[in-house]
Amino acid sequence: MKRLILLGFLSILAAATIVVAQSTTQATLRTQNGDKPVAIARQGGQTYFSADDIAAALGGSVAADAHGFRVTINNNVAAFGPDSRFGVVRDDLIEMPVPPVVIDNRPYVTVQFFQGFLAKTADLDVVWDERVRLLSIRPLQHTIVGVQVSVANVQGTSKIVFTLSQNSGYAIVKEQGAYTIRFAAQIRPPFTEQAYEDPNVAKISFTGTDVRIQLTGGDVVGDAYKLENPYRVVLDVRKTAPGPANPVVPLPSRAVEPSGIHTIVIDPGHGGKDIGATGPGGLLEKDATLAIANKLAAALAVKLGARVILTREDDSVVSLDQRTAVANQYKADLFLSVHLNAAPVKGAHGSEVYFLSADASDELAKKAADAENQSTSGHADTQSDLKLILWDLAQQEYLAESNRFAQSIQEEMNALAGIQNRGIKQAPFKVLVGATMPAALVEVAFISNPDEETKIRNEQFQNTVVEALTRAIQRYKNDYETRIGIAQPAAAPAPAATPAQPPATQTTTTARTGT
Amino acid sequence: MRRVVLAVALALIVAASACKKPQQQGRNLSEANKVAMRPVRLYFEDGNFLLMAEPHNLPLPENPAAAIPVVVREMMKGPANASLARLLPPDTIVRGAYLLPDGTALVDLGGATLQQGWGTGTHEELMAAYSIVQTVTANFADAKRVRLLVNGEPAETLAGHVWLGRSLYPMPSLVEPASR
Repeated sequence: MKRLILLGFLSILAAATIVVAQSTTQATLRTQNGDKPVAIARQGGQTYFSADDIAAALGGSVAADAHGFRVTINNNVAAFGPDSRFGVVRDDLIEMPVPPVVIDNRPYVTVQFFQGFLAKTADLDVVWDERVRLLSIRPLQHTIVGVQVSVANVQGTSKIVFTLSQNSGYAIVKEQGAYTIRFAAQIRPPFTEQAYEDPNVAKISFTGTDVRIQLTGGDVVGDAYKLENPYRVVLDVRKTAPGPANPVVPLPSRAVEPSGIHTIVIDPGHGGKDIGATGPGGLLEKDATLAIANKLAAALAVKLGARVILTREDDSVVSLDQRTAVANQYKADLFLSVHLNAAPVKGAHGSEVYFLSADASDELAKKAADAENQSTSGHADTQSDLKLILWDLAQQEYLAESNRFAQSIQEEMNALAGIQNRGIKQAPFKVLVGATMPAALVEVAFISNPDEETKIRNEQFQNTVVEALTRAIQRYKNDYETRIGIAQPAAAPAPAATPAQPPATQTTTTARTGT
Repeated sequence: MRRVVLAVALALIVAASACKKPQQQGRNLSEANKVAMRPVRLYFEDGNFLLMAEPHNLPLPENPAAAIPVVVREMMKGPANASLARLLPPDTIVRGAYLLPDGTALVDLGGATLQQGWGTGTHEELMAAYSIVQTVTANFADAKRVRLLVNGEPAETLAGHVWLGRSLYPMPSLVEPASR
């Protein structure tokens, strides 16, 4: 009898616990307008917050439709939906650990949803303190930003990347032999001081909100820019020619004073473990693109007298961002990425030339406006502040020239005997997005086609392709320099299918300059 | 004894009826769903290297939130017409697909090839990505754009070319005029 009664009480207690765990309770929501209650729910170890309560406290609202919910705060809209742990704001994803839940037909989300939404749109941070059941929404710069540091040297340039746990304004001060980055937010440094065995960076140290980058000498200059997803502040430093140190941090190249085509970056697609496409006979795209790019670099140096830089000279992995970073770093006037194509349909053949798609740029233009607004209203309060440069936006202002450049390449490739025109196209290719100069991607031929794979292996065919690309670049250069008034109109060489003489081959130098 | 047992049973019933179990949104939204055979258009590559619609009939719920993953999974099975080519690696799976209120459809892909690095050219990658975009936007009027994820995470590309850091919009130039 006693056992039964005990069992009964235990059962009731267990059932009551479930009621508490699955019902909503109240916590405190603290904003600059004061404290308000916010409904919360616990489920599966997660704390969910009423989207209605938080939106209302910030003067916003939540609307439901057949696909989910739409949160509007100060005309900024974020959306989330069924079973998805990703919300969307301004075409950026907001990542949540778990999907939202609906209780009594109203949405509840984890704190990460509003952290992502408000950090991207209102420079606000959201912090949940479980101990005192307090949800605080406050200006972002009052929070502590975690910082991670990496230093890598690529082709003589040391890339110092400060990865931030969340967005923060910053200013950069150039001193003799050092840079200081001053963050607007409180930061949590990964170390106090660390020495580096790097050609350009001697030491990095943190003090308060400052990070000081001690350089190896006064002849080192740098470029800085900011990236998103995740937030990063990048400082590229390199040795400069002997002479007075440059007192101003230069920005990545912008075509402010057009001066012709002098520096060309050739990007051999793929490399290392990224083999690209594989031909039916086993030819790897990464090997063929490197062979063609090497020949092209040599030909351009000899025939155009151009300074030519390869994004890779060997079978190494180079990230897509790094490829355009090299072009920007060297302030290249043209960027050409060389690839081989593949298709599931048999018989695909011919060349294709791409430049960045317009709709990618349209979306990016919106982000540009947002970034511009943010940079002018935020932390640009010191003389040496660098403007925010979104990597995603770089190609935007060069699309018209990229179109001309791609057209020139396509016309020359069309003229090659045995290569069919498949037309100039636009696509959202990552390797073109960050380039601050006219940029195109050429697909020389289809490696997936056995006949074309055999051709690509052939040295003479490679030379023919190189000749066509060289002529295309020369034509574009003549056209561009004539249009900007620094060259006389010249009888541009007509597209021709005549096989070229093999150019002088150089295999070791990174930058090649013809004499 | 009987009274005690009765009391315990009543207590349990009362407690259980008081439980407010949170409803998953999918369950909420699926209330109006009514599964029926519905016509859809799945997109594959044809001999002109463009995307062509292949008509299928599928048992689909009315609600796009539940129907999108069914349609995309059907597309992954490949075309019935042998003259059309299946795009994406054969081991690709659709982990999930959702439609958000702003018109963004999220399609979460998985599979060993995509996870380990898909080695293919720009054409195949471009057509693969846009076959999903075209299939989703052509069949669901509320879907304006598609954001592709790989294994539940944002990915830079599928195979080293097409940038997935933004939503992809339909690109009519990749589609046969009769299938647009």
